[in-house]
Amino acid sequence: MTIEVRAQARQPGRSRTQTGLKTTLAALALCATALSTTAFSGTARAETATMVMATEPPTLVSLTNVATTALGVSAKVTEGLLEYDENLNPKPQLAIAWEVSPDGLTYTFKLRDGVRWHDGKPFTADDVAYSLNLLKKVHPRGRTTFANVTSIDTPDPQTVVLHLSKPAPYLLKAFAAAETPIIAKHIYENTDPASNPNGNAPIGTGPFKFKEWSRGNYIAYERNDDYWGKPDPKIDQLVVKFIPDAAARSIAFESGGVDFGYRTPVALSDLERLKKLPNLKFETKGAAYSSNVTRLEFNLDNPYFKDHKVREAVARALDRKVIVNTIHYGAAIPTSSPIAPGLKAFHDPAPSPYTYDIKAANKLLDEAGYAPKEGKTRFHVTLDYNPITTEGRRLAEYIRASLSRIGIAVDLRAQDISAFVKRIYTDRDFDFTVNGASNLFDPTVGVQRLYWSKSFVKGVPFSNSTHYSNPEVDQLLEQAAVENDPVKRKEQFRKFQEIVGRDIPDLNLVQPVFLTVHNTKVHDLVTTADGVEGNLAHVEIK
Amino acid sequence: MSGETSSSLASPAAVAVPFKPPVVRRGLSAIVINHPTFVVGLAILTVVFVLALTADILYPGDPMDMVGPPLLWPFQDMEYPLGTDSLGRDVAAGLVYGARVSLIIGFSAASIGLLIGTLVGAIGGFFGGLIDNALARLTELFQTVPTFLLVIVIVAIGEPSLPVMALAIGIASWPTIARLVRAQFRSLRQQDFVMAARSLGYSNTRIIFMEILPNALPPVVVTASVMVAGAILTETGLSFLNMGDPNLVSWGSMIGGGREMLRTAWYLTALPGIATALTVLALNLIGDGLNEIFNPRMRQR
Repeated sequence: MTIEVRAQARQPGRSRTQTGLKTTLAALALCATALSTTAFSGTARAETATMVMATEPPTLVSLTNVATTALGVSAKVTEGLLEYDENLNPKPQLAIAWEVSPDGLTYTFKLRDGVRWHDGKPFTADDVAYSLNLLKKVHPRGRTTFANVTSIDTPDPQTVVLHLSKPAPYLLKAFAAAETPIIAKHIYENTDPASNPNGNAPIGTGPFKFKEWSRGNYIAYERNDDYWGKPDPKIDQLVVKFIPDAAARSIAFESGGVDFGYRTPVALSDLERLKKLPNLKFETKGAAYSSNVTRLEFNLDNPYFKDHKVREAVARALDRKVIVNTIHYGAAIPTSSPIAPGLKAFHDPAPSPYTYDIKAANKLLDEAGYAPKEGKTRFHVTLDYNPITTEGRRLAEYIRASLSRIGIAVDLRAQDISAFVKRIYTDRDFDFTVNGASNLFDPTVGVQRLYWSKSFVKGVPFSNSTHYSNPEVDQLLEQAAVENDPVKRKEQFRKFQEIVGRDIPDLNLVQPVFLTVHNTKVHDLVTTADGVEGNLAHVEIK
Repeated sequence: MSGETSSSLASPAAVAVPFKPPVVRRGLSAIVINHPTFVVGLAILTVVFVLALTADILYPGDPMDMVGPPLLWPFQDMEYPLGTDSLGRDVAAGLVYGARVSLIIGFSAASIGLLIGTLVGAIGGFFGGLIDNALARLTELFQTVPTFLLVIVIVAIGEPSLPVMALAIGIASWPTIARLVRAQFRSLRQQDFVMAARSLGYSNTRIIFMEILPNALPPVVVTASVMVAGAILTETGLSFLNMGDPNLVSWGSMIGGGREMLRTAWYLTALPGIATALTVLALNLIGDGLNEIFNPRMRQR
């Protein structure tokens, strides 16, 4: 009987929703590993690069769905107008030249000549105009990103002109392939973009042609011999494998079953061991296009946390050094600003005015009128944590232990992601929460939503969860969103960071470092700000 | 399940005599000599019980508190004899408090299962007919759903807290008991002593609970000890999947948390794993022992 129960216990996978499925997928993925290596080894195995992802993408084109997994594969086939270097300076991709008028209201792109879609049809300005108009309608962030774009002209097949109603200083950074994919007009015209079969078998301009998607196993891409960027691509085949279990991914890296992965594809606890292996390399670059910040968000409607003194006491009870070294095994950068250190142009490195100091924290709580009762405890609160990362729970456990030292008794509450999102953003039935927020490529796009009083909208996930409302901050954010002068804009964001750093409606703790792990035989993997999310045209195996 | 083995006990000859434990007369030493495995099981369980009861004295304070440097190996620092986990929490304290959670869950879930199972089985077996038919179908309905999946569903709907988990495991595990009790009742209700009780005008309730149930208990007690073991394992499985109560240390959550470090710090999974295995083994040994003691035919061997 015991054996029977054990066997059942193993069956359901890690998450609540996909229980058995995931394990099955893991098993299938392992079978696929065996199959695909044999299947592809027939012809020049050396020219195949294998990428690993934990889960399968919902679609292969990040047009109507921006799931992390979809962003990871989209750009291999479907390219963008621009790519970016590590400091987010634009570089040519499908556009070879671009110009922004001094008033910031007109963007002109000169397109690359002689580019063909994988089905042989020529790529023209019509495709770009059609794509951008479609993105504005159906892309989850497109409505915001292209909000100020009023019309798009195509004076000739090689030129695209965007007309804006107001300046959009972040816009030039939005044209990366995965963020703003350029799709073929002749394929999408008069169809439903979400259900268009192109999402499962994409046609693009990229270095790789879609070959096969074996559901649950792998996606195979083959070399586009007609690629505009010759001699790229230098590999014949690109295979994306799905391995849901972190330990199994580690083994795949060790054994050479997979060649590369991104967004730290292995368990953080396993990093130290893997770093000693001679056949693996670790790369911190290639994550600048999407920096995350791990945060502790207070519900400012909560009777305890609406008091600044209580929030300051919590701030003084948490040590970012421990969060970096113990919770994240060193793979994180401390930050007290919501703008991640990764967004170098805007991040304010000034430390929090509220340094780690348990005594001061206790004093603040005394002053706030929460004297210890029944022993050491001052009051009870419940902490919800975003369940999508394992570090989230570890951090919650650290916060629980730390706050017990200043007499705040914390109960942790576990739930799945949909229950979490509903609790925080719809029901607002929480005290405080461990959460993460992506900065994306600009503070206006990634950070404004967290602090702008107008983005406190019930039911909108990952918006202003704290119910923070400060007219001065609102004004700064609104100014920065349309400020054309980069120096002024930087100053507006600096002031913004100073104010929210003082008001602490939330505590920004660390930016997790996303590592790209790759086999030493893989070269030129990370050449752009979006790293492995890019088109991987330059990758070479030798 | 042990339903098959214990169903042999249902033969009227075995239990028709009102339940008087004849073992007592044969002395404690006889048990020790005749059933050494039972004694071993009892000894292990006693140790676990004592540790669970004295957890507050042995390790005052919160076992979830980060007390030392992370990932200390056992015996590396005698202040933390069994080492610390990746957050610097004392593994020994975790094991002791985890014993408490395991035992609470094990016994409360088994009690809930026993209560529901006994009621359903007794009523069905005693009254027969339409009621029995309906209850038997209900039992089958619950039996067709895999236990662990049902528990996961209930915990997912509710909240991962100790009472909800105990209730979920209890709800998922009662059919075994119900079938066992029903079989017992069906054979016992034909017995002379039941006839006698009826002729004395005893109420149905009294006959069920005062006359038949005590005679039906021995196989149920045996099954119950195995149910406790099953409940402990189910709780361990739940916590391993991160579906346990995050405010409590449990052996399952310790195994789940240490799993990522299986290659570098195997003691984090091995120690709570051994604790779980020993406790479950002890309960199974006790179950076997009880079976031998209660079963006169096995005793004669």
